[in-house]
Amino acid sequence: MTGTSIKGFILIYAGGTGTMEKLTYEGGGYNVLTEKEISQIHETSIKVLENVGFEINYPPALEIFEKNGATVDHQRHRIYVTRDLVSRCVKQAPAEFVFYGRKEGNDITIGGKKVNFGTGGLALYVLDLERNKRPGEIHDVAELARLADRLEYLNFFINPLYPHDINIETVDINTRYQSLLNTGKPIMGGIFSKQGLEDSIKIASIIAGGLEKLQRRPFIGFISSITSPLKISAEQAEYIMEVARYGLPLATSTAPAAGATAPITLAGTLVQQNAEALMGIMLSQLVNPGAPVLYSAVPITMDMRTMSFLMGSIESGLMNAAITQMAHYYRLPCYLTVGTTDSKLPDAQAAHESATTGMLAALAGGNFIHEAFGMLDGALTVSYAQYIIDNDIVGSCLRTLRGIEINQDSLAYDIIAKVGPGGNYLSEEHTIKYMRTESFAPQASDRQPYQRWLDAGSKDSWKRAEELAAQFLQEPSDPIIPPEIDARVREEFPELVTVEKGDGLHWETESG
Amino acid sequence: MGDKIIERIVENVLQGRRNKDDEGIEEDYIGEPGVAELVQEALDNGIDTNTILLEGLSKGMEQVGEKYETGEYFIPDMLTAAEAVEAGMTVMEPHLASEGGSGGKGKVIMATVEKDLHDIGKNLVSIMLKGAGFNVVDMGIDVPAARIVEAAEEENADLIGLSALLNTTMTNMEDVVKELDKKGLHDKVKVIIGGAPTSDDFAAEIGADGYGKDAFAAIRIAENLIQAGGTK
Repeated sequence: MTGTSIKGFILIYAGGTGTMEKLTYEGGGYNVLTEKEISQIHETSIKVLENVGFEINYPPALEIFEKNGATVDHQRHRIYVTRDLVSRCVKQAPAEFVFYGRKEGNDITIGGKKVNFGTGGLALYVLDLERNKRPGEIHDVAELARLADRLEYLNFFINPLYPHDINIETVDINTRYQSLLNTGKPIMGGIFSKQGLEDSIKIASIIAGGLEKLQRRPFIGFISSITSPLKISAEQAEYIMEVARYGLPLATSTAPAAGATAPITLAGTLVQQNAEALMGIMLSQLVNPGAPVLYSAVPITMDMRTMSFLMGSIESGLMNAAITQMAHYYRLPCYLTVGTTDSKLPDAQAAHESATTGMLAALAGGNFIHEAFGMLDGALTVSYAQYIIDNDIVGSCLRTLRGIEINQDSLAYDIIAKVGPGGNYLSEEHTIKYMRTESFAPQASDRQPYQRWLDAGSKDSWKRAEELAAQFLQEPSDPIIPPEIDARVREEFPELVTVEKGDGLHWETESG
Repeated sequence: MGDKIIERIVENVLQGRRNKDDEGIEEDYIGEPGVAELVQEALDNGIDTNTILLEGLSKGMEQVGEKYETGEYFIPDMLTAAEAVEAGMTVMEPHLASEGGSGGKGKVIMATVEKDLHDIGKNLVSIMLKGAGFNVVDMGIDVPAARIVEAAEEENADLIGLSALLNTTMTNMEDVVKELDKKGLHDKVKVIIGGAPTSDDFAAEIGADGYGKDAFAAIRIAENLIQAGGTK
């Protein structure tokens, strides 16, 4: 095993195969906002929080704000906070935290300008490997988690699918448990009921060997939601307060749509988005100072002709980059949303929307970039093949962050002198030393000469991605939860379903 | 003279101007009479309500629909136009009542289903239905199935329009259909659904009578269902 240090990134590659341990990547080179503009957005958001206020129809939340000096109009459930309270809460929130994996090399640090990409969304449909669009089922959750576990540039897993074959009362624990069973990467997910939240924490505690161990090294987190404009529903406020009390990683997702639930101007949407993200930070920090919470953003635009939410618009990418700068300004870890396309198929539109928005978020230095894998049709459909294509796209974004290594050896004067005019570099040691790490190798892209591509069946990237997904899902994998723990969990939660490996592999022949 | 007023009603519907204080889509309109003032003027000049409705308000909305189809108009343009029509209808209402008019094309109960707090799409369809001449009762958001059906019964409605944005709440639409079936009202009261996660297939699956992919589709389907039912 050899190791090379490049610009602070540790590359460890075994033998000559080029397989590497997890690298960490930093962004922050792209600034869509000037410092003055950041401050203008901040000041306007403060004015909104002070004068317009926000609504939480949940008495315990109103009380905790009132106790901390906010002005509360109990009749209208309206809260008005001062700039001091905002800055106190922002300071109390951790600037970064570690989100743990349950397999070696899967821990991630969220904060600063560190960049992590992962899954997310809540699709209704699956575009499967036979190209059928059908309602999602629990076996898809299991298969997608297993695929996520296998993909190199995917750092965390948020269940992206609502399974239609599961009763809504047990959706929380069934989706969470299939995620925990099938990937060792950090896991997050939405909340469908208070009971589901409590039960999910119980299950994770059994796996961790106790609640305290889970709290010390959290490997699951939760996503609550804020309703744009400027409102937290009673049940979501309760979830935020409960997750904060447990001290587990929390996102307070809010999706202002420019033109519909936020001003049409990107600047106005950023002001409101910023105020809403700060509302989430405040509520969590007032309940439990220091609890890990993400400055959360899903800023999107609206097609004013059709009223479709546009997840893949370039303006959404721009706003995600801007909101990253706001999070950096507050020294808060951020939760972003890019890489989802409005296209219905893994086509050219899907690729360019995923790539352009993903690249903007990466360059900006977004910390916890979710929904970046597999989401089509504005996140209503999840595609196995798009998971593979997006792994290539995210890989390219991360390669971009690695930049160009400049040092004595990479500048290569000696080797240029040795080869001299008219020679070639093919068999030089210097070439062999760098050729596996200098260039990124996308898996679903075609880079062959024309005749070879023709002979291999003239496939496009969608087809190649399907074949790769099928291949990855067929690979044997070790159980991530030991059988005795699995038995204990299932004893306590008999409503957990069992998914046989291969249930979702529709591309298998019937006899197979 | 009369033609001139009717033309100006059409023009002001296209500009989305409810009254003289509205800006309009193009500039230089402030202070000019809007749809409400023009309808009043038309009535004062003895133009009959039918002409105002068909040649003025409805014709304006038709042109708005055409501009939407060609991509010239966006949803907010359409909304302000529908609001302008509504303002005109309000002025006409006492006259329609005294003429013994039926109060429009039919009565529609609109609601966002239980546990869903999203109202933009529902409000939009409500306004457009009003603009198209329907009598709309908007029950708001997070409305339980039983209450929706009760209201339909009390109001003697022809249609129920249901909205949901969440995949977790769209299933509550089925409860409304079941409740109607249970009470034996489904023959009389038809159900149209809409909202991002819904589809033709989903409508068929839950036994709804129609799915509107947008507000114009909703109007078309509402008109067809009422004609087919022959209730008005």
